[in-house]
Amino acid sequence: MERALKLVAGSLPLIFAFAFLVPLMDQVMRVAGITAPLGLSSLTLALIIGGAWGLFAQVTGRWI
Amino acid sequence: MNAQTQVTPTDLSQLSNAELRRMELKIARKYSGDVPWIAVIWAFGNLAVWLSLWPLVFMDILPLWVAFPIATINLALVYLPTHEAQHDIIARPGTKLRWLNELVGHATSWMLLFPFQVLRVTHLDHHRHTNDPELDVDITSSAKGPWQAIWNAIQGRQPKAKRNMDYLASLARNGREDLIVLSLFYRVGFIAILGAFAWNGFALEALLLWWLPYQIAITYIVFFLSWAPHHPGSHQTRYTNTRSWKSAVGNIGSMGMQFHIVHHLHPYIPLHLTPAAYHEMRPILEARGCRLGDI
Repeated sequence: MERALKLVAGSLPLIFAFAFLVPLMDQVMRVAGITAPLGLSSLTLALIIGGAWGLFAQVTGRWI
Repeated sequence: MNAQTQVTPTDLSQLSNAELRRMELKIARKYSGDVPWIAVIWAFGNLAVWLSLWPLVFMDILPLWVAFPIATINLALVYLPTHEAQHDIIARPGTKLRWLNELVGHATSWMLLFPFQVLRVTHLDHHRHTNDPELDVDITSSAKGPWQAIWNAIQGRQPKAKRNMDYLASLARNGREDLIVLSLFYRVGFIAILGAFAWNGFALEALLLWWLPYQIAITYIVFFLSWAPHHPGSHQTRYTNTRSWKSAVGNIGSMGMQFHIVHHLHPYIPLHLTPAAYHEMRPILEARGCRLGDI
């Protein structure tokens, strides 16, 4: 149980990224009419950017 | 005692520390003891307004761009009733309305993603160790100027910020490691709620009704409750670790923190009475060598 809690606590940036940031980016792009490049869907682009940002926050301990 | 009665003589130069202390306490008691119903109404009124924004937005009764600033004000206002409850100002332990004090604390603190007991334990620790570079949980808010203070407040919310470590250390120091797990549940619960909204097509609503208002409000709260009244954050004695100052945005705009020195000296005085207590106490505070602004 303690290990599981520590795992969750240590993974909050990634959890936040995929739980909230990715669908948020997807919806912002669609509302703003932004088309993803290279024929990607807005959700795929959001997964790439949001996932990378979450990974950055996970590794460095800061979003900005 | 009648709240209008002045208890401060004009010439304090001949008085001893003990006499000054007695006068100070007499004034403090005069402004304390009654239930601050304004804080109770504030707590539940603010909560009701914020909760009502969600269905109003989802049913397209209220535009999101109108709801966003209201939600931001709600999130900024939520801390002060919680703060009153942390200090048992609404009702002390063992009194008839104690349940109300605790209800106000629990009903409001979750909006700021903290369990009430975490805010209470860490805030009381801040009072015990104000401006101590090792033990004050709010020491990371100290900054040379306002812009750096805002930046520090933002940095204090990063995943590996020192501020997080200071809060955890405070809980451990006070024997409340159990609250660390509870804090984690609050944080995960917040992300789960945001995620549930977002993956069901309401990411912008979650962003503008809770996440962004929370970020703005916490920065504002840390600026006015933590940085400004303790600036420069280096004095550690009882009469100098906080100050009074004239805020450019007034007393309401600075959430009553112009008179924060009275709160630190007598944390049982309700927020709405600290200006009157301050003005009556001012000559004593001057005699004590307090850092008083032009107010």
